[in-house]
Amino acid sequence: MLSKARMPLNISNIVVWATLGAFLIFVLLPTFYLISYVFLRWDEIRVEVFENPIIGDENWKQIVNVLFFSFRLSLSAVAFDILFGVPLAYVLARKSFPGKSLLEDIVTLPLVIPTSGFGFSTLITWTTRAGIGGLLGLKSGLTTLDAVIPFLNVPFVLFLVHVALTFPYVVRTLETKFQSIDVTFELASRTLGASSLTTFRTILLPLALPGLLSGAVLAFARSLGETGATLIVSGVSTTASIAIVRWASEFKLATASFMGSLLVMIAWAIILPIELYVGRKGRSLRVPYQLPTSLHNGLIKFERLASKRLSRVKDVVPLIVVLITVIIPIIVVLNSVVLYWSADPYTGRVQGGVVYQLFGPSNYFNSLLRATLTSIIVALVSTYISMCMAIPLAFIIERRWYGRIIRTILKVPMIIPTSSLGLSVLLLWGSGGFNLVTSGIWMIILTHIVFSVPVIVESIIAAYEGSGLQMYEDSARTLGATPYNALETVSLPLLKGGILTGFILSFTRSLGETGATFIVMGRDVTIPALVVNMVEALAISAALFTSTYLIVLSLILLAIIRLLTRRR
Amino acid sequence: MNVTKRFGKITALDHINLSIEDGEYVCVLGPTGAGKTTLLRIIAGLLEPDEGEVYIEGKLVNGVPPEQRNAVYMFQEYALFPHMTVWENVSYGPVIKDWERDKVERVTSEILEMVRLAERRDAFPHELSGGMQQRVALARGIASGARILLLDEPLGALDARLRVDIRTQLRNLAKDQGLTVVHVTHDQEEAIMIADRVVILREGRIEQIGTPYEIYSEPRSIFVASFVGGANFIEGNVVHVDSHGSTVELRGGLRIRVSNRDRNVGERVVVAVRYEDVTVGKRREDGSNNLSGVVESVLFIGGFIEYDVKLENDEMIASKILLSEVKETYKTGEHVVVSFPPEKCYVFPYPKTSLLKEIEAV
Repeated sequence: MLSKARMPLNISNIVVWATLGAFLIFVLLPTFYLISYVFLRWDEIRVEVFENPIIGDENWKQIVNVLFFSFRLSLSAVAFDILFGVPLAYVLARKSFPGKSLLEDIVTLPLVIPTSGFGFSTLITWTTRAGIGGLLGLKSGLTTLDAVIPFLNVPFVLFLVHVALTFPYVVRTLETKFQSIDVTFELASRTLGASSLTTFRTILLPLALPGLLSGAVLAFARSLGETGATLIVSGVSTTASIAIVRWASEFKLATASFMGSLLVMIAWAIILPIELYVGRKGRSLRVPYQLPTSLHNGLIKFERLASKRLSRVKDVVPLIVVLITVIIPIIVVLNSVVLYWSADPYTGRVQGGVVYQLFGPSNYFNSLLRATLTSIIVALVSTYISMCMAIPLAFIIERRWYGRIIRTILKVPMIIPTSSLGLSVLLLWGSGGFNLVTSGIWMIILTHIVFSVPVIVESIIAAYEGSGLQMYEDSARTLGATPYNALETVSLPLLKGGILTGFILSFTRSLGETGATFIVMGRDVTIPALVVNMVEALAISAALFTSTYLIVLSLILLAIIRLLTRRR
Repeated sequence: MNVTKRFGKITALDHINLSIEDGEYVCVLGPTGAGKTTLLRIIAGLLEPDEGEVYIEGKLVNGVPPEQRNAVYMFQEYALFPHMTVWENVSYGPVIKDWERDKVERVTSEILEMVRLAERRDAFPHELSGGMQQRVALARGIASGARILLLDEPLGALDARLRVDIRTQLRNLAKDQGLTVVHVTHDQEEAIMIADRVVILREGRIEQIGTPYEIYSEPRSIFVASFVGGANFIEGNVVHVDSHGSTVELRGGLRIRVSNRDRNVGERVVVAVRYEDVTVGKRREDGSNNLSGVVESVLFIGGFIEYDVKLENDEMIASKILLSEVKETYKTGEHVVVSFPPEKCYVFPYPKTSLLKEIEAV
């Protein structure tokens, strides 16, 4: 785009500056405010965290513990994702079989389902009689929340939830990457005498590495920031994002913000180098070391042997993972809502039934209606505002020399743990900062804009690249269209698919977001936050109903995405 | 215009001076990376030159946006808008320029009729064959009322057979409409067949401008001779110049006569002889250079027979003889005499770098 014929209109410059300004205020500032806050209020933090007059540096010790636990959980979840996600992604990318697109949808489901609903499903599946325990004829759940996986020292149910929620990132990113790699490389390798495993290790894996890494980064960031489901299944253990939510609600703002910025900075230290590596085009892994020949030959022989034995295993095991982590919980929750409809099926108490809890004295139905209204308004308004910012921003990224920089910065809100983000927004706009907005629906909207903009921008860019848009626009220009004409008649229609996908993704994300919302919502409770409240109030049946409601809602949205993306 | 365009350190066009007459069909011919597309984009206004000026119809158009230049750029991939039907694509220019409804209707249907696509007016581009898409793109350009058509490898995306059929149609259409055309291609046959004038571009510089006949019969450089038509290239030294021509001594002491007298005695030169100017026989021919050699290979290509003959000095000479003019055929290993007249020898000074580089740049 070197010295491209410039747009003669001043309007385009105004749009660029307005967009960049809005981007700065509504996206960048909230993202980075938390860190600057730590420096601005260092004295306060020091007193509260390190030299507390009553408990000494007890807060600091807690922070360290929580951080260690969080990273252990996230890293092990991502490792598990990779182990089973790679074969699944390969199968999805290379094979065609009946039900493939259904399987893709099921894998994607946890991205769309609001996480607190999903967390609740997993909870009752594993720890109550209504779940697997009941199926096996036990009087209690199969396991408890405190059951810990040996070696990893991570609670089992929590681990399952994090795997389910992060699995789609690894699988879908890698699947797209595999599809973009020409199948003839593999065929060539096979005809040259390599077994399928050797081919995979020496050809496909190095080429797909950037995809694997970016998938793993997204999964890792998601796991670190996950709040909604974690709040429900964490039991006694505390992850970093939960700690931030708790401390923020206890008004230990200094500790919370210190913890939040530590989390953000450590996450960046891990993620940014990987992002930079992946961001360069045409990268692949070139292993710098050489195995000793004897070992290498042994490896190849082993791979030849294993190729045959493993081919079935590779197909089946990932499916079992999906079954356990995604399908069963959803079925269980749908089933339970029926069982619990009028009364608790085990004790027979009417008070345990869905109907009583919804319409009885606590009147959760009313709260649910209000929460639905809040959620939908938030999702619509924040998505709309984000669209207004994201569409010009996507063009700026593609057309201006500084576009790459903006795109890199935009990665940050995507990988920042949402509870840290919520805290940052609270501190920035709320009474401690500019004091412009109080907790409530407007602050939720401000928060959601921060992570919606990057989501929409990314999907527009995905549609932009490879569409040959520049050529179509140039063509329109020489046919007599002004830049504005060309934009209206050619570019926007061509990007329609990407814009719509971005809209839906942002909408569902906003609908399901819990971590940040919990911190900034004040009295305007959204649906996912309501589920958490219900579980904490032990209104299990009401939570069941609300979770089902959320799941059905998101299934409908997923169906819409399908329709929109398939038409092209 | 006199134009320079740089991309970073690379100079894509180096002081290109070119003027094109109204209604002329000009082919810009050159190998990949010669700067052909850059030149075209500068005329269209999609790129701005770093130096120099572009005039269209006598008006300086530097800084004038593409939509005001009335010069349609046609991409090799046609860039038919995928979300619009054939009709919408073709009427795009008229609609965007806010012509009256009736006029839009009339112009669009006339042009669709002309390119024989009226029946497919409601089809989408991806439903059409490559040839049809090409016609739609052309129709779209013409319908926009442009007087200048800039074609970037317009036939490149078509298969070989279709390409030959369409290129004459393309020229006839442009001539009927009185359009000025700049047609970029790397196919010398295409350029020679349809252009009024050919511009040979190489590494951002113009090597030669002329009618197809001039380019073919009076190549001004080794590059042009080799790129257009192809030729045998023989190294030698000028040993004698007289009023009828010069004598060139080849390797191994062989001597040939050439009509050219522009080089000095002692100068190192390259003699180019077109394959079709070389005959192969058993007898020496009067008034020609006659060199004896051995047939190395015989190739039958359609209407021609091609001989590769190894001369006494181990150099190879190729000859292309029209099948209808073949009186006698020779086998590999047979002793023959190759003949070519002095007036068919082009003489060039020996290139500064190497002969191979000049020829291989193709």
